[in-house]
Amino acid sequence: MDKRAETNDAVAAKQRPIDQITQPLLEIKNLHKRFSISGDLLDQLSFEGGRLSRKQEFVHAINGVTLDVKRGEALCIVGESGCGKSTVARNVMGLLKPTQGEIHYRGERIDQLSPKALLPYRKQMQMIFQNPYASLNPRMTINKTLREPIRFHNPRWSEGEVKDKVVEVMQSVGIDPGWGVRYSHEFSGGQRQRISIARALAVDPEFIMADEPISALDVSIQAQVLNLLMEAQEERNLTYMFITHDLSVVEHFGTRVAVMYLGTVCEVATTEDLFATPRHPYTQALLSAIPRLDNKKRDHIKLSGEVPTPVNLPSGCVFHGRCPRVNQRCREEIPIIGQFDGSSVACHAVEEGRI
Amino acid sequence: MSELSTENALLSVNNLEVQFALRQGAVTALRNINFTLRRGERLGVVGESGAGKSVLGFSIINLISKPGLITNGEVVYEGQNLAVMNNRQLRSIRGNRISMIFQDPMMTLNPVLTIGDQMVECLHAHRKMSKAEARAIALDKLKQVQIPSPDTRLDQYPHELSGGMRQRIVIAISLLLDPDLIIADEPTTALDVTIQAEIMDLILTLCKEHNVALILITHDLGVVAEVTQTTMVMYAGRIIEQGPTQDIIHKPSHPYTQGLINALPQMTTPGQRLNQIPGSMPSLQSIPDGCTFRPRCEKEIKTCETIVPNLQANDTVEVACHLYTPDDNKKGELANG
Repeated sequence: MDKRAETNDAVAAKQRPIDQITQPLLEIKNLHKRFSISGDLLDQLSFEGGRLSRKQEFVHAINGVTLDVKRGEALCIVGESGCGKSTVARNVMGLLKPTQGEIHYRGERIDQLSPKALLPYRKQMQMIFQNPYASLNPRMTINKTLREPIRFHNPRWSEGEVKDKVVEVMQSVGIDPGWGVRYSHEFSGGQRQRISIARALAVDPEFIMADEPISALDVSIQAQVLNLLMEAQEERNLTYMFITHDLSVVEHFGTRVAVMYLGTVCEVATTEDLFATPRHPYTQALLSAIPRLDNKKRDHIKLSGEVPTPVNLPSGCVFHGRCPRVNQRCREEIPIIGQFDGSSVACHAVEEGRI
Repeated sequence: MSELSTENALLSVNNLEVQFALRQGAVTALRNINFTLRRGERLGVVGESGAGKSVLGFSIINLISKPGLITNGEVVYEGQNLAVMNNRQLRSIRGNRISMIFQDPMMTLNPVLTIGDQMVECLHAHRKMSKAEARAIALDKLKQVQIPSPDTRLDQYPHELSGGMRQRIVIAISLLLDPDLIIADEPTTALDVTIQAEIMDLILTLCKEHNVALILITHDLGVVAEVTQTTMVMYAGRIIEQGPTQDIIHKPSHPYTQGLINALPQMTTPGQRLNQIPGSMPSLQSIPDGCTFRPRCEKEIKTCETIVPNLQANDTVEVACHLYTPDDNKKGELANG
């Protein structure tokens, strides 16, 4: 970090209460998640050589992810389908239980809490899903959809207060409160996504997990929803964890970016740094693949082969089978995330200075 | 444009209109579509969902099924009007001279046949040849699409392959009979970014090598900019702008095209508010009077309310917008927009 950035940080730190500087809002520590694909106990048993044996196979969806989200930032997680980005999101939100590892929110460990103990956190942490056609209950009017979380988390509020809140969030996402009596099928995709954003904002959270919130929308609507998310962040001082596969959105929206590949984080950097100097070979390939409008002819870096199956993880670096900079060490030893000029990179080649 | 050969048009679509008969009444999905495609030309069709891009792709090979119907116009391919042909006549064209690549390769490939069987079947449908000959051609095409170990792939089933690999197989099948034209409907939308780049590079190289014309239907302007020579922008069933891709991307004329390009995150400084287009595309059942884009347009003038603009030449492109009609002195104003 250079000197100027340091002093800037120091100035900013003075304006915040002490606990907010020292602690990231959300910490994910060495998270692992695997899913069994062997069915129930009877399916796992088999006779082999006259003996009864039990065999279990697992999908290793996340293999040791460590990340933290600072207050007020938008941390983007990018990666291709199957890299585990949504599984990370679901673990953080308590929709899945981690196999190993810890999740801390405001310094408190939350991954082992009982559903009841988790309630206050659920109010602070809200989620926006990818498909607004599936995430809104088709049998509820919009008023009812929005009233439910407010009522649930604020049981002491009067009917009038709840109503006022519904009107307020609808206005803040640009949906006419008069439409509250309608059902979700009467709205377009963009409007529905606004409604699910309104539902997330309704309980005044401080952290929002957005899992591909604009991927199902048309280009002109994507811009509307992204603008809405940025406005909400400014007005309500929100912290985002934003999961997407669209790198041009990341470049626009993210404060920092984490690139994931096959259940591990390969690189974490500020958005500016990542796009200016991608370090990990996978990040480089990913960035070169973005279709651009300008005339400059760019060569897409071609990766050989395919993403390996997460059932039998490759030895060493998970990316070694497709990496143009692979050597013997990469095949044997799992790289550990290290610091390189402000970026965190998990790559032997970067560490050894081969790139 | 120098890459294009000067031969006559390969395909010309004239006044095409497609309607869907719904319970609530007929809905016009395509109106007044006119364009020509030269041999080897790569045309991009862009627009939002519901703009009629896919219906256009299907209606070119007359694959519109009930309740849809081509109600007017013609699709002339090498002198024959495909819009009036019966299914038997069409079979000699479809898959043979004009082939199609769809969005989801798992839906296109038959899950109970091996890759080889599907390819041989396609060859036998159009040409008389022995099974061995057909397999040899199939193998050759698999090599062209750069599939690793092509001979083992011939005996595999689609579910044994990854999404990117399946789409390569679909491309290989579309090339089997050396077509003149490939219609690719969102060929990479279901794929990941890095695979998308590989597949688009492959389609581009193969089209150039074999001088195959391409109609690329997509919502991704970046892909269009990288692959096509000409572009057509559709909105609510009409063409609102068409011309050379570089001109459309870098100096778009129609307010909708301008809005669409300016709305891309890469057109704004990171962290700044994106330039959004207000509202959303009208449903085909409630098309507004006059210009269909009028309710979302910031440059609306009096004429837009009542009169539907037609495509008119403006500089290098054709645009359907009253701001460009010659008797309106709006030209200068728009050049700045």
